[in-house]
Amino acid sequence: MTRKLTPDASCSIGGVKMADQGAADPGNNNNNKAEASEGTIIKVTVKTPKDKEEIAIAEDASVTQFKEEISRRFKAKQDQLVLIFAGKILKDGDSLSQHGIKDGLTVHLVIKTAHKAGEGASPTASSSTSTQAGTSSTSSPGTEPSPTAGSTGSAPPPTQTPNILTGFGDLSSLSGLGMGSANFMELQQQMQRQLMSNPEMLSQIMENPLVQNMMSNPDLMRQMIMANPQMQQLMERNPEISHMLNNPELMRQTMELARNPAMMQEMMRNQDRALSNLESIPGGYNALRRMYTDIQEPMFSAAREQFGSNPFSALGGNSESGVQPSRTENREPLPNPWGPPNSSNPPESGGSTTGSTSTTGGTNPSVSNPLGINPGSLGNGMFNSPGMQSLLQQISDNPQLMQNMLSAPYMRSMMQSLSQNPELASQVLMNNPLFAGNPQLQDQFRAQLPVFLQQMQNPEALSVMTNPRAMQALMQIQQGLQTLQTEAPGLMPSLMPGGIPGMPTGGIPGMPTGGIPGMPTGGIPGMPTGGIPGIPTGAGMPTENPASSPSSAGTNTAQQQLMQQMLQMFAGGGGGGAGGGATVHAYTGITSFTPA
Amino acid sequence: MDKNTTRYNVQLYIYDLSRGMARSLSPIMLGKQLDGIWHTAIVAYGDEFFFGGEGISSCSPGGTMLGPPDTVVELGETEVSEEIFMDYLSSLGESTYRGDRYRLFEHNCNTFTNEVAQFLTGHSIPSYITDLPSEVLSTPFGQILRPILDSIHIAPPGGNVINGGRNL
Repeated sequence: MTRKLTPDASCSIGGVKMADQGAADPGNNNNNKAEASEGTIIKVTVKTPKDKEEIAIAEDASVTQFKEEISRRFKAKQDQLVLIFAGKILKDGDSLSQHGIKDGLTVHLVIKTAHKAGEGASPTASSSTSTQAGTSSTSSPGTEPSPTAGSTGSAPPPTQTPNILTGFGDLSSLSGLGMGSANFMELQQQMQRQLMSNPEMLSQIMENPLVQNMMSNPDLMRQMIMANPQMQQLMERNPEISHMLNNPELMRQTMELARNPAMMQEMMRNQDRALSNLESIPGGYNALRRMYTDIQEPMFSAAREQFGSNPFSALGGNSESGVQPSRTENREPLPNPWGPPNSSNPPESGGSTTGSTSTTGGTNPSVSNPLGINPGSLGNGMFNSPGMQSLLQQISDNPQLMQNMLSAPYMRSMMQSLSQNPELASQVLMNNPLFAGNPQLQDQFRAQLPVFLQQMQNPEALSVMTNPRAMQALMQIQQGLQTLQTEAPGLMPSLMPGGIPGMPTGGIPGMPTGGIPGMPTGGIPGMPTGGIPGIPTGAGMPTENPASSPSSAGTNTAQQQLMQQMLQMFAGGGGGGAGGGATVHAYTGITSFTPA
Repeated sequence: MDKNTTRYNVQLYIYDLSRGMARSLSPIMLGKQLDGIWHTAIVAYGDEFFFGGEGISSCSPGGTMLGPPDTVVELGETEVSEEIFMDYLSSLGESTYRGDRYRLFEHNCNTFTNEVAQFLTGHSIPSYITDLPSEVLSTPFGQILRPILDSIHIAPPGGNVINGGRNL
């Protein structure tokens, strides 16, 4: 018997309740103990995990009645039904209105079945949850990342994530463990992993002659792996690994595996099975855990570092920004990228400041000038926009950010493809708000694009970008220029001929955006001023020569105008980035960018 | 009404997959401000549940490689018992939330979390999370990246797949 404890909203009459047997509720065709009232029929959506149906029921019906209707519709027994609404379980004794179930609302339904795959019975459920914590790390080899990206069909048979490191013999199945930190690298690792698990894509990659070449050379592979300092450390600590690497048979087998995804998956499955058997042995779990922490983790961080833009670089995880140490080791003492005459600016550790780039036009990147910056070709325009300023600052503050981003192999391959496809690159760039308002800049930039993209490819360039001190130096330069501009505006135009060598802008191809290579700057030619001797610290890039800007002799009026604009941008940039100062914003298009 | 039903607290754990990079770089890359790339999970009954490329997974709260959550939102309480919930998850995991149904933009961890939140508490998750894919796709850069992103499956390791095929 349903009892209404709360007044039924729909029953606006003073509660005349007649124990009517359903006559008043045309829609309610169950036997009922419905309290009569207007008995409006409401349509309630009943949603199961797999299905959903709309059920018409009387507004004032009881839960029991509702369940009867549902059991008919879903072909289930009433006592298997569990109805949930707003987090509450609807009990038979309740009424729908009690819970506030109205027309158009959704009620959740769970159908308890004893023989559901693994569930239905509480013991299984609770035991699985309780063992989760304990086995989470070791059972991940047992987890099924189903390959996807639309490759396999529905309900794929359990497959392993083919992790490229599978080559490493017994440790391959450990690849399922500890896949690294969640950041963009994780994302792209996932992506790569998906790539790998999609046999079609994988075979496409395999068909790439470059890859094949590499894979068919076990020595090369071994060298690559061993060249990584982290790997070396790892090998010292775990001699088994070096044995493994030195075993040509194993390497060959590995490469065969890599070539043949199906075989790889098969092997991984075997490995996983073996491993999980191991787990059941007393003490086995600990062994596995040890194996993981001692071997796999460092190895994967090492391997990931190693493989740079190799498509197989999706090697397990780097748990943190272990990127940093290896980068630091690999990097040469940071040269002063806008090297030239101003060698009084050693921005970084071990900074050997370096040879100035005396060549003009497209300078080749060299150790001393990793960015290949042609001093003459550097412009600073965009670079000094408020946006850039703030970005720079953020980057300086958070070196990890840059490193993370730039070290992402995905980033590199993207830049590569962008450099091969200047159309795409310019498209991407032009859409960028920073460029939006300034067609001149766009043109300039487009001209610079190839050079700029080249620069981005250079790992040295990248590593410079990740150095916080470099960033800071750049900012100093900018600020210096801004100061100069405000202090001695007359100075600038007269220095026009020749660009400012090594203006920060040029110095940071594609800066911060990382993802959008070609962020402002790649050396906008004819930029304000060349020889400004005595530019305050960090700046000081006296001109190389007047003709250094690739695009012109630097003295025509158009250029001058452009430079004026640029100068104004400095001032504007100073306002935005440093907070305060001139507020000239030459490019309205930039206003959308605010320091994040 | 019986008030003696046990109630379980339900929380939403929000993680920023980009570790702050989105907040800084999104204006440049996308042209609009995105405060994070959000991954969410439901925490209830002492466990964390989330949907990833592997299907529905669970672990101890904060136990994935993502570490502790950036934000925790209290979704409220539920009367649903753990047993019923696991039933529910199993059904979901066999149907709409199988591993291969993962789609980074349209059917991702946040879709799952939203659905589970509604199931458990009747509340949805904050809209800034569920709006993220459309925000990204509405930018030119997002459109360009779309084919690549579509193949990404986010599956923070450290979890145990529920209703998973093989428990050896």
